[in-house]
Amino acid sequence: MSSPEVHQLFYGQPITTHAFNKDRTQVALSPNNHEVQIWSKTGSGWTLSHTLAEHDKLVTSIDWAPNTNRIVSCSQDRNAYVWSWDGKEWKPTLVLLRINRAATFVRWSPAENKFAVASGARLIAVCYFEEDNNWWVSKHIKKPIRSTVLSLDWHPDNILLVAGSTDMKARVFSAWIKGVDAKASNPVWGEKLPFATLCGEFGSETGGWIHSVAFAPSGNAIAFASHDSTLTIATGPSNPIQTIPTFTLPLVSIIFASENSIIGVGHDCVPYLFALRGAQWELVDKIDKGQKKELAANTAFRKFQQMDSRAQAQGDVELNSTHQNTITSVRAHDGSAQNVSKFSTTGIDGKLVIWDLLSSGVANLRL
Amino acid sequence: MSHRKVDVDFVDDEDAFVDENQTAASATLYSAEAESAVDARVNDARRLVSSGNMPAAVSRVLENPPAGPYPQSLKDKNTAIVLETLLAVRPNDMPAIVKSLSSTQLDTLMKYIYRGMAQPEAYNSGLLLTWHEKVTEAGGVGVIVRVLTDRKTV
Repeated sequence: MSSPEVHQLFYGQPITTHAFNKDRTQVALSPNNHEVQIWSKTGSGWTLSHTLAEHDKLVTSIDWAPNTNRIVSCSQDRNAYVWSWDGKEWKPTLVLLRINRAATFVRWSPAENKFAVASGARLIAVCYFEEDNNWWVSKHIKKPIRSTVLSLDWHPDNILLVAGSTDMKARVFSAWIKGVDAKASNPVWGEKLPFATLCGEFGSETGGWIHSVAFAPSGNAIAFASHDSTLTIATGPSNPIQTIPTFTLPLVSIIFASENSIIGVGHDCVPYLFALRGAQWELVDKIDKGQKKELAANTAFRKFQQMDSRAQAQGDVELNSTHQNTITSVRAHDGSAQNVSKFSTTGIDGKLVIWDLLSSGVANLRL
Repeated sequence: MSHRKVDVDFVDDEDAFVDENQTAASATLYSAEAESAVDARVNDARRLVSSGNMPAAVSRVLENPPAGPYPQSLKDKNTAIVLETLLAVRPNDMPAIVKSLSSTQLDTLMKYIYRGMAQPEAYNSGLLLTWHEKVTEAGGVGVIVRVLTDRKTV
């Protein structure tokens, strides 16, 4: 079992969210303030190369479109910016979202011609570029969302999206835009898909607001993690859902690692692997098996390092895990959507960690 | 729980969030069927407890509890029989009983443990703490999180 690649980018400062570029040589992240920072890979480490400071308030989410090389960021200041690289610097374009509450989450669509912004205004803003006016236009999905939307994910067909909300429901909507998308229908989620069609509504059996949602690589199933420490999988609008109660603290971010496996991270500070065995989803194991305690060599150095990193001189306060605090986001890093081989996580402890799923000791458990 | 009842939508009531999972305002709602179910549970539980079959008694009282939009009086009645049964179990027997329960039953059990600890004058908190320890051992902190999150209160 090889250990994960750990990069301590900040001390005492959380990383709210992160997104890599296509070749994984740069990462955009937010150090829990109004900035979007771009770090570049130098040798085995990372150095800060650009700071994008156009937002006024906390940046809540960032996504990097791999092929068009554009970054979209959204913030509690209710704005979203699309950043494009002109060869020397990142140029911002303001997107008029027309929302009166914080923007909470943003994702590019797979074809990268649209993006969706979730918000506290009980709506989802689906944005697309209008050539005639040379600006980004947003259309709102409002009904029947009754509370803040915390997360969303796109279906691979570029039409559907799934959104998880604090009204305890995960919903699948159509984000079909006239003039942008060709006529659409989907064998699982619906035949007719005009904009804002509700194609499915799901809640976990014990309630709990939804932290994170994800579409399976095929788009035929969704998964969502809610605050009741469960992970729920739904395979269509009328099929029965499957809720997996876990023994852990709630997950806050999930991705599909393949059609039959899910990686979830959250308040437990370790990633968990879920897998479909036969017809039954189950929690397989922690992906982080913990680290061996280092011997207390070089004590004076460690003492000052500890004072620096957590403002206390003594005490064995280290968790037996790679991340030392809640993991805030997980993204696929290497491999195809059908078979993710590496994934990256960032957390409140200021670490960026790149995990190798194949060599992490759970590979033999995968299907 | 009072923070849950703060109406954050009062200035902006279009499409407001309606929580249908809290206690029902009207006593007539759901009551006939649910009441007979609670009465049956009381009889079964007392019979099983007096015959000394504690695992069956605990599993019986945790079946299909009136949680969510039921009248408070009905919930109180059910709470009384559940806690009466739980508190009749000896601490040494708890691990085996907990082990035999399904994960849904564990969640329900934890709900009633918290419900009981909210009324220390009525129910023995010491014994409930022992129950709490055993349930957490079996179900992890996930069980506690589910009790804190679930809006269908008992």
